[in-house]
Amino acid sequence: MNKRLLGALGTVIIGAGVIAGIGTYVASAKNDSRVLAATPAGTINTAQGNLPHYTLDMSAYPDSMAGSHGTTGGKHPGWVTYGPVTNFQVPAHSVITVTIKQYDSGARITNDFFASVHGTIDGTAIINGKAVKSVDPEAVGHTFTLHGLSDAKSQLFVSVPLPSLPDALIPSSGYSKTPNTITFSLITGDAGKYVWNCEYPCGDGTIARFGGPMSTQGYMSGNFDVVNA
Amino acid sequence: MTTMMDRPAATPGHSAPKKALIERLNIFTAFALGIIGAIVFYYVAKAILPANTDGSYIKSNNDQYVIFSMIGWFIGFMTGIGALIGPFRWLLGKDLNHDENMFYAGKDQGVKRYFRYTTDHKVVGIQYLVLTMIIFFVGGVLAMLIRTNLGHAGGGWLQPQTYNAIVGTHGIIMIVGTIIMITGPFGNFIMPIMIGARDMAFPRLNALSLWLIIAAVPCILSSFFLGGISTGWVAYNPLASQAPAGMDGYIMFICIFALSTMVAGANITTTVIKMRAKGMTWNRTPIFIYGVVASVALALPAFPVFFLSQVMSGMDRAAGSTFYNTMGGGSGWLYENLFWIMGHPEVYVILIPGVAALMEMAPVFTRRPLFSFNLAIMGIAGISGLSILVWAHHMYTTGWAPLLNGPFMLTTELISIPTGLLFLVLIGTLWRGRLWMTMPTASIYALLWNFMIGGITGIYLSDVPVDGALHGSMYVTAHFHYTLMGAGLTGALASLVYWFPKMTGRMFDKTLSWIGFWFVQIGFNIAFISMFFVGLAGQPRRVEAYAAMFSRGNMITTGGAYLIMAGMLVLLYGVISSWTGGVKAPMNPWFAKTLEWSVPNPVPLENFDVLPVVTSDAYGYGKAQS
Amino acid sequence: MSDLEAPKRPSVFERKDIKQTVYFWVVFTAIIGYAAAELQARSMGVSASETMSTTIHMMRVFTWVAAPIAGLVAAMAMTTLISKIHFGDTPPEEADHQIRNATKLSATWLIVSSVLCLFAVVWGTVVLQKDNAALLNPQAMNVNVTGQQWAWNFDYIDNGTVRSQDLYLPVNKPVVFHITSKDVIHGFWIVQMGIKVDANPGYTTETSATPNKIGIYDLRCAELCGLYHAFMQTKVHVVSQADYDAWIKSQGGQA
Repeated sequence: MNKRLLGALGTVIIGAGVIAGIGTYVASAKNDSRVLAATPAGTINTAQGNLPHYTLDMSAYPDSMAGSHGTTGGKHPGWVTYGPVTNFQVPAHSVITVTIKQYDSGARITNDFFASVHGTIDGTAIINGKAVKSVDPEAVGHTFTLHGLSDAKSQLFVSVPLPSLPDALIPSSGYSKTPNTITFSLITGDAGKYVWNCEYPCGDGTIARFGGPMSTQGYMSGNFDVVNA
Repeated sequence: MTTMMDRPAATPGHSAPKKALIERLNIFTAFALGIIGAIVFYYVAKAILPANTDGSYIKSNNDQYVIFSMIGWFIGFMTGIGALIGPFRWLLGKDLNHDENMFYAGKDQGVKRYFRYTTDHKVVGIQYLVLTMIIFFVGGVLAMLIRTNLGHAGGGWLQPQTYNAIVGTHGIIMIVGTIIMITGPFGNFIMPIMIGARDMAFPRLNALSLWLIIAAVPCILSSFFLGGISTGWVAYNPLASQAPAGMDGYIMFICIFALSTMVAGANITTTVIKMRAKGMTWNRTPIFIYGVVASVALALPAFPVFFLSQVMSGMDRAAGSTFYNTMGGGSGWLYENLFWIMGHPEVYVILIPGVAALMEMAPVFTRRPLFSFNLAIMGIAGISGLSILVWAHHMYTTGWAPLLNGPFMLTTELISIPTGLLFLVLIGTLWRGRLWMTMPTASIYALLWNFMIGGITGIYLSDVPVDGALHGSMYVTAHFHYTLMGAGLTGALASLVYWFPKMTGRMFDKTLSWIGFWFVQIGFNIAFISMFFVGLAGQPRRVEAYAAMFSRGNMITTGGAYLIMAGMLVLLYGVISSWTGGVKAPMNPWFAKTLEWSVPNPVPLENFDVLPVVTSDAYGYGKAQS
Repeated sequence: MSDLEAPKRPSVFERKDIKQTVYFWVVFTAIIGYAAAELQARSMGVSASETMSTTIHMMRVFTWVAAPIAGLVAAMAMTTLISKIHFGDTPPEEADHQIRNATKLSATWLIVSSVLCLFAVVWGTVVLQKDNAALLNPQAMNVNVTGQQWAWNFDYIDNGTVRSQDLYLPVNKPVVFHITSKDVIHGFWIVQMGIKVDANPGYTTETSATPNKIGIYDLRCAELCGLYHAFMQTKVHVVSQADYDAWIKSQGGQA
């Protein structure tokens, strides 16, 4: 009697252990734990008062030779990617100034909505030194689009188009010396989990060009955690 | 072949070398040849298929290689297990002789026969039982990963694409597990004895149906290493066309599994129609047999459609066809229709045998006749017939054909009438019976409870306006877990305990069966009742993160899921310990009247010395009316 | 046992088990009906449209209609459970009867369940027709909805070229949504309005609602659409007509 119950208990413990082991393995093996935290940069005056200011720098590359996939490009050297990493962490109730260097070419975006700037301070982004509210939908390379869950918190929605580089400016090897530089600022709300992804379909060779790098975290998408400072 | 030399000259005649080949094939040669086949096909495909350079249509070389490799695996595996020997010999006009047939039936082979292409229905039944347990273990592990990830709002423990792959694989592998969980083990082991037959009508097809599933399972598991299936178990296009190469694993899995189901369906249906014992008229055939036949017969129209839908999906992915791609004139709605033409009969494929098994046990444990045998058959037949006319209730909100929502609502709600009959039969049998409280008896109560909840929530969902609020939410997930797991799996677990003595010669440990039962049932109800409420509050299905407002409900569900896990593991231990060291079972431990309890333990090859003659039905319990 | 002593069987309604069952039936029906109807209705949250109110009402009524059936099954099961239970490794003595059928009871059961089924179908169809008719309402404003992988956006086609990512709607004005997708299938679902229809690539589907309560509601994707399906959510702002006009103007449209 006791032996059987002990056996059953043992099975439950072993089974739970096996599941925990598999879970831990799956969770760690597939999760990119590299996170880039925003850099403090004093405070800044906004319509919402004087807020702490942080900066965040990233780039968009036409292949995976740069970014977080190693010098050999990892599993998919040909995939477009953001870099240096794709998971970001920023403080709540702060101004975040994001600077993106854009090295990739592009074409017409499928949805003009994402050729406009949304959700930034003043609704503008500074592209190569010029403040704009939208870019030419015929020449978009990627977008940086940030969104979250619909819950009680104020929702953060930011979308900024990254204009494409003309093909002439893209060298046959390496990256252009003159990338497009896109700078914009956003104000974070309460702490929460957000994600960002690109809304310009750039997963070539898949349906709606949204597979491949578009549908795999670590390339054209990632986490954007707003945390209490 | 050099085997002539190696073998002792015990087997006379010129058939010795061929027989030797049969003897040497087993599950290990099958896996070896399967892997070799996959590698060969991979390189052949790589060598002969033109590189795809134009990106205009979506036909990636990668998908072509994966599909070819899996076809290679399939051919290699089936060759390696020996499935082709019979047909090949028949083609040559030299059919198997008596000794070879006896070998195929597993005569005098001890444990080895369980690892071979054995045709004895009892061996196949045990093989199915173990396979089902393995499938449930895999599916259960995946379920625990899902629930752990959903333990707190925001998710993030698993990466989204990993999570999606786990959800999809959990779904499809559990569907397959539940489809075979009763008709596989008990339909094969018990059913022929129950109808007084020596074996199935087509014993080799029987072995084939089993080994097809074993060939299929590695395809779906391999998908984890090919990017996963990011589509849920339904694999809706065009998302499925967009998904990574893991999707090809899903496609091959379904194609092979559909073949298996069709083979098994034809075999079991023929067996029941042609091989019942003398005197076993339809009115004397046990209700469990009706359940099994309804289930496999429903699969006959359903699974060819499933097969077809996946072949088309594979062609879209690998060959540039556009069945489901709007850009090329196709339609995702086409896929949804094909899928659910399979999908709705399929849920009754799962449910009916579970209910029928408990209807079979109800008279045994209440010591009175089954209440209204005719209504039970009418219920099963009514559900089966209607279930092929209701598929588009899964598509009320797709916008496909709003005008058809009304008619499909009608057919769907009509199903509540034959379903109600099943309740009447069960409750009528319980009523004024002398309840012999065992784990199967308690399972009848659990079925009534769970299936009542599953059924009534089904009525809400069948109503088009209400479905507008609930479709695609956790409510639906909870609803079908209540039917497939709460009703179907409850029936299967009761069947395990009930028929365990006949299948293994040992009694299932009583204490462990009770502990497992309570953990599973309590955990199940905790988990899925709270899932109804997060669904009502608006949590969508298949999400890896959710708004904070759903936290409490999800936490409770996760807790319940861990209880289910504990219960299932206790039952697993119960199976192992009872099988190896349980109390030896008498011939008829439940004092039941169906034929399977009239044969000794262990059941001899070919079951009966003298085929029985049936003179009454199996439900003659109770004192005659004064 | 009393049955053996009595020369004649007592009339049905005098039997102890029947009385017990009836008692259980009443209690269970009340508990099941109330718990299921109220808990479900409550957890569906606020209703922001008549469609949603109707849905909640229908679920309530269906629950109360189904409750007596569930209650009867539970009552009969309970009566059996508390009166004639036997544990042990050998079976109890056989039941004291061999009833294999009860024609009247079966017929009653069949008729009652058919009538209930018919009721559900007819009522459902009536409401469905109303929902379908709402799509043709000429007074309704029109909003085009575009789903694309993991984001929604909205075109206010009656107000010029205004587009947005959050959905803004004036209160008490019927609105027809024309929904499509850029890539895969999404599910357009405004939770508190109880409306849902898929966004399909290459096709336009329609649904309608009349928001009747000012507030902020949730729009969630209801069809698995890939990587960030869980995050394909946005807010629905139901505002007064004046606020709506002001918002449209601020976005450069004509009110």
